[in-house]
Amino acid sequence: MSIQFAYYPGCAAQQVQKEADAAARAVARELGITLHDMPRATCCGAVSLRETKPAFSLAVAARILSEAEESGRHLVTICNTCLQTLTHANHRFKNEPELLEKINHVIVQAGVRPYKASINVYHLLWVITDQLDPKAVKAKVVKPLNGLKVAPFYGCHNLRPEEIFDAKAGEAADHLDRLILLLGGRPVVYDGHDKCCGFHVMLSDKVEMRSMVARNCLNAKDAGAELMITPCTLCDMSMGSFQKPAEQVVGKVIELPEMNFAQLIAVAFGLDESAAGLDRLHVSPHAVLAKQGIR
Amino acid sequence: MPVNTYTIRIQRKRKTSDGRIDSHWKEYSVKATETTTILSILEEIKGEQDGTLTFRQSCRSAICGSCAMKIGGRTRLACKTHVGVVARDNVVEIASQANQPVLKDMAIDIGPFFERVHKITPYLTEGPETDAVTEKTAYDQVNHVTQCIMCGSCYSDCTMAEVSPEFIGPAALAKAFRFVSDPREGQKTKRLRQLAEPHMMWSCARCAMCVETCPKDVKPMEAIVKLRTRSVAKGFNDGPGPKHALAFHHDIQQSGHLNEFTLMMRTVGIMGTLEELGTAFHLLKKGKVPSLFPHKSAGLAELAKIYEILEQNPLDVETKAKEVVPE
Repeated sequence: MSIQFAYYPGCAAQQVQKEADAAARAVARELGITLHDMPRATCCGAVSLRETKPAFSLAVAARILSEAEESGRHLVTICNTCLQTLTHANHRFKNEPELLEKINHVIVQAGVRPYKASINVYHLLWVITDQLDPKAVKAKVVKPLNGLKVAPFYGCHNLRPEEIFDAKAGEAADHLDRLILLLGGRPVVYDGHDKCCGFHVMLSDKVEMRSMVARNCLNAKDAGAELMITPCTLCDMSMGSFQKPAEQVVGKVIELPEMNFAQLIAVAFGLDESAAGLDRLHVSPHAVLAKQGIR
Repeated sequence: MPVNTYTIRIQRKRKTSDGRIDSHWKEYSVKATETTTILSILEEIKGEQDGTLTFRQSCRSAICGSCAMKIGGRTRLACKTHVGVVARDNVVEIASQANQPVLKDMAIDIGPFFERVHKITPYLTEGPETDAVTEKTAYDQVNHVTQCIMCGSCYSDCTMAEVSPEFIGPAALAKAFRFVSDPREGQKTKRLRQLAEPHMMWSCARCAMCVETCPKDVKPMEAIVKLRTRSVAKGFNDGPGPKHALAFHHDIQQSGHLNEFTLMMRTVGIMGTLEELGTAFHLLKKGKVPSLFPHKSAGLAELAKIYEILEQNPLDVETKAKEVVPE
């Protein structure tokens, strides 16, 4: 059986965080999830567009959602911020028919098919943990994590605001923890799992952003984490690639290997480097994985 | 309703003679039902087990805001939090609010929090921008943020305040939005100019923690987003915050995707980019450099057309608070 989705990887996964995209595609293939590209889809605009051009941002979202709807599929993404932005718009379209009508009136004039607000926006992680049979996922695990202590870093935009999402969100969310257990790892409980990675203030408040990265990583490490995973390409950038700059701000060594959730699934499924993309990570996980006899 | 035995772990804090805070965790065992409030449990501990425990409380009705404290990792009002909701394996951890100076146990010095609120001039001021007429719909915007009881929960859980004592914080910004939106306010533009300064509205990391934590559903971050929209509309576009935000609508029309390569240059300028060269080389080591010419989406002409239509005929899409009708 195959599940079909319109696939919206987001800007980061198509540029700097290509490894997350490669892993997501490979893992989806293994699990019988078919991801269909969306050739017309643009950047979602994130909260930035909502701030500067609120109506345009809704029209951009409607155009993206309409493309998925036309193909008869729900939309799936691997970026928390894309998830929140598109879900926020979708939530409004579903609950404010007058708003949808106004936005459709605009996009139709530009030759875009009107959006009927009939589809849902999902995170690929939710599809794997909530829509598939856990036994089927477990059956694919050929390199179990052997009790590896993994810190789940949820980030913000797949959790809050809780009421808009099509999955368990807010404080009740546990999808990343459940994934770690499915792969044979031990989820680490620590202060910071649902805090901010600072990505959106990376350029405006750079010391603060780096302090957030350091704080979250060091808390995870103090709680015993050997590895950190996130469901978001932007969190990956912060918590992984910016760990070194963060070390310089706080004057402490962190060195906590960090990767996208899809990369860790690829590792546990025994997929090769072209799928796992471990060499593109700034803090190498090779030693930690080797110690557990995983890779 | 069945009575359970709960373990209440409280972070006891005490100021030492040299001004440091001494802290240790102490456990108390309390019998209660699922719907017993944390406040009742704290009273029972203070009254029956340990009279040295210090916490604030007054109205018991989620109106005064005195009993905000960390309960199960999040800041909540003890008077409206049921033990059954926050207990994990019948254990609840309680501590003082974060990001605020502690006096003893759960009692904090709320002074610095109110200093921040006062920075935004929390009262109507006279000036040239007072509207002659107050439409009924004007209350839509003000409505939401006037529910704030100044309990400090949002500031205690704010992920930016955690790393930046300079940040003004969600409660003060929500309050500022209340005045910027009030038709009677005479200095709306002056307020927006002040809010565009460093460590004010553009320093919010948009984690939405304040939206989740607020016990009165004020949604401070939504107010911050609206403040930014009004500020950009006024042309206060200096500084990395607004410059970054403004890069998006241009890129979406040009290629459909963000031009991450030039985004930094446009946000922090040439000098800022030079300062960040070390970070850029660090990212380069793992090939994490964006393409100067990102892939173009199909049907871009549609975006340009949509943009043009909306510039000519602006649409008000702002969320409105529901009208409050007295019961």
